[in-house]
Amino acid sequence: MTDPLITATGDGVPLVVEPNTPPSKKLPPGEWVKANLFSNWYNSLVTLVMAVILIYLARFLIGWAIGVEWQITRTNLRNFMVGGFPADELWRPWAASLLIIAGASLGFGAMSRAEHETDVRNGIPSTKPTQLDLFRRFWPIVLLSIFFVSFARTTPPFIGVAVGIVGLFALREVGWRLPAVIRDRGVFVFAAFLLAGFGCLAGTGGLLAIVAGIIVAVLVSTELGRAGITTRAVVIAGPIAAGLVTYFVLSAIGLEGFGWDDWGGFHITIFATAVGIATGLPFGILLAIGRRSNLPVIKTACVIFIEFVRGVPLITLLLFSSFMLPLFFPAGSDTRSGLTRAMILITAFSAAYFAEIVRGGLQSVPKGQTEAAQASGMSPGAIQRLIVMPQALRNVIPAMVGQAIALFKDTSLLAIIGIADFFQYGEISNTQQDFLGKGLQPVTYTFIALGYWAVAYWMSRESRRLEMKLRVGVR
Amino acid sequence: MTDATVNADATAFAGTGEAIIKVENMDKFFGDFQALKNINMNVGHKEVVVVIGPSGSGKSTLIRCINRLEQHDAGRIVVDGIELSDDIRNIQEIRKETGMVFQSFNLFPHLSIIDNITLAPRQVRRMPKAEAEELAMELLTRVKIPEQAQKFPGQLSGGQQQRVAIARALAMRPKVILFDEPTSALDPEMIKEVLDTMKDLANEGMTMICVTHEMGFAREVADRVVFMADGEVVEVGTPDHFFDNPQEARTRLFLSQIL
Ligand SMILES: Nc1ncnc2c1ncn2[C@@H]1O[C@H](COP(=O)(O)OP(=O)(O)OP(=O)(O)O)[C@@H](O)[C@H]1O
Ligand SMILES: [Mg+2]
Repeated sequence: MTDPLITATGDGVPLVVEPNTPPSKKLPPGEWVKANLFSNWYNSLVTLVMAVILIYLARFLIGWAIGVEWQITRTNLRNFMVGGFPADELWRPWAASLLIIAGASLGFGAMSRAEHETDVRNGIPSTKPTQLDLFRRFWPIVLLSIFFVSFARTTPPFIGVAVGIVGLFALREVGWRLPAVIRDRGVFVFAAFLLAGFGCLAGTGGLLAIVAGIIVAVLVSTELGRAGITTRAVVIAGPIAAGLVTYFVLSAIGLEGFGWDDWGGFHITIFATAVGIATGLPFGILLAIGRRSNLPVIKTACVIFIEFVRGVPLITLLLFSSFMLPLFFPAGSDTRSGLTRAMILITAFSAAYFAEIVRGGLQSVPKGQTEAAQASGMSPGAIQRLIVMPQALRNVIPAMVGQAIALFKDTSLLAIIGIADFFQYGEISNTQQDFLGKGLQPVTYTFIALGYWAVAYWMSRESRRLEMKLRVGVR
Repeated sequence: MTDATVNADATAFAGTGEAIIKVENMDKFFGDFQALKNINMNVGHKEVVVVIGPSGSGKSTLIRCINRLEQHDAGRIVVDGIELSDDIRNIQEIRKETGMVFQSFNLFPHLSIIDNITLAPRQVRRMPKAEAEELAMELLTRVKIPEQAQKFPGQLSGGQQQRVAIARALAMRPKVILFDEPTSALDPEMIKEVLDTMKDLANEGMTMICVTHEMGFAREVADRVVFMADGEVVEVGTPDHFFDNPQEARTRLFLSQIL
């Protein structure tokens, strides 16, 4: 009885065995084609038929794209991108975009370095992601920017896009090399640039000051944690004080922004989606927790909100917001602006959908997880925060990204309440004097479709990447 | 035949000094169904009590009542001088002193092995990170898998996971550990490594209540064996008494089926 397979598995052998040379699953191109496309007669037939159809479609599409008049997108490029933003203020969206790209590259470069260092310290194999890896992640966005800018009629946009793309790759490298002190706070680097970018658009007062105050409070709180300070008074008062100081200083600086009622185009599409995700998700989590609450008042309130919002078409909600919401606010207040109302509504809308997704995630966490945490004496809050919620959220990443993509596309409904977003310019441009009645809708909507598709496809790729990353070592 | 009367009194405890767990006249209902009927049981300091009995007899329910994973309906439960009540602070205090090891391990799959172990000491005992990690490594060495510290639960075998679960329970430095069939979900070749870990613990003087079907383990390390059926304590005795000279008919039937 010397079966090598049996003697090889013994007591205490880890389940994950790393063989010295993993068997290669890659076939040479010739054999791959044979194995996958022409393995038998009907497979070959299907391949040939599909090839004929594809070639025909490609010829048709390319012929159409070359023959058609793209002048309408050239003339309207700025409209498509930023709507009616005045020309002498255009530096604002440019600065904002470039700052946000810079922050993302620096911050995420730093964060991936920090992760890499932790893995190395713990003896987990990890290599530095290459520039090619980065390109593989961002190619839909990079190509989209190039596609957009190819319609520009002046040089500055080309320079801007070039700076953005080079910055994306170069600053990732810089982020990777940042000193450890900064590197370990990568997320705050990103937040700082994001705020600076938003400040260029919206000024330093109001919303920006509030968000900055919250971020500084979180920063101070994590710093206190790192320093091992646990004195109750300091831990609570420190962040609050820092946040308030930030708020008042920023409000006092009072740099003028550019009122957001004139925002439009792709700019507003992206912004509305970002707001919908960034505010909708936290509210959605709270709603999901509320829905599972033992207190009937909270539970009922959450159920009514969620079911109402989910049960009514978004269009109805949008119309409701433009006719009904103003009645809730004092006359003449800032909150009556169309875009503000739309943002409140989009937050409510995505919160309700995220809430149901998160609730599904919460249900997917086995009861034994809570029991194990309870048995070790952890408080209910800590159990939710550290045990249940992280598992619940990671179980529903695909559904959440799906919701984010749906939201991104649904922002096209903002047109209903008179917000000229990316989608809306497909129609607006066709009503201009030069293009009226020329039937150029196929051109503008192709342009729009590509814009939506590239971003949505990028989001879906990022979701799969995130899933893979989080699945490492789990189950 | 020695004495013909059945000893069903689980209150006389072995071990040293005071009883660390006292259960008095405890009832537990699930709806109309009475899962535990008037349970009286004491566990002494450093005592090892093994609870056996047929499926559905209430063994799990009994030990889950002790750390309030289930709420008892009548009677008293006192752990280390603290009476279990609805007061959340009492419950937390008792849970700090009682570790629990589950049949299905219940490790936290999203945390590395070392984080699984350090989480509760850091959260509940406010232990500094470095100290908690040192403790965790010490415990992992004790359960003989220090090299797995940075892996995730999903990368470990069942036996290794259960040993991590034991280390996780020990990290809170509990006065008692409750085991609910810790080897029932394991492949035969992994049962031994977990039982060995439990034997080491018993020999080091840990107070333990173990629900288990491992009669060899019961015989070797138990100070007392408690046999339950239909929510009642039916027979109590030393392992020798139990395996050589059981009195009650239900005990004999159960043992004949399992041995
Ligand atoms: N949450 C619950 N709701 C309703 N009935 C329950 C619940 N938990 C346990 N019971 C019932 O209580 C009785 C005792 O269950 P318990 O799990 O304590 O048995 P056990 O002795 O541990 O059995 P096993 O050896 O199968 O684990 C069983 O009849 C079971 O059906
Ligand atoms: Mg049980």
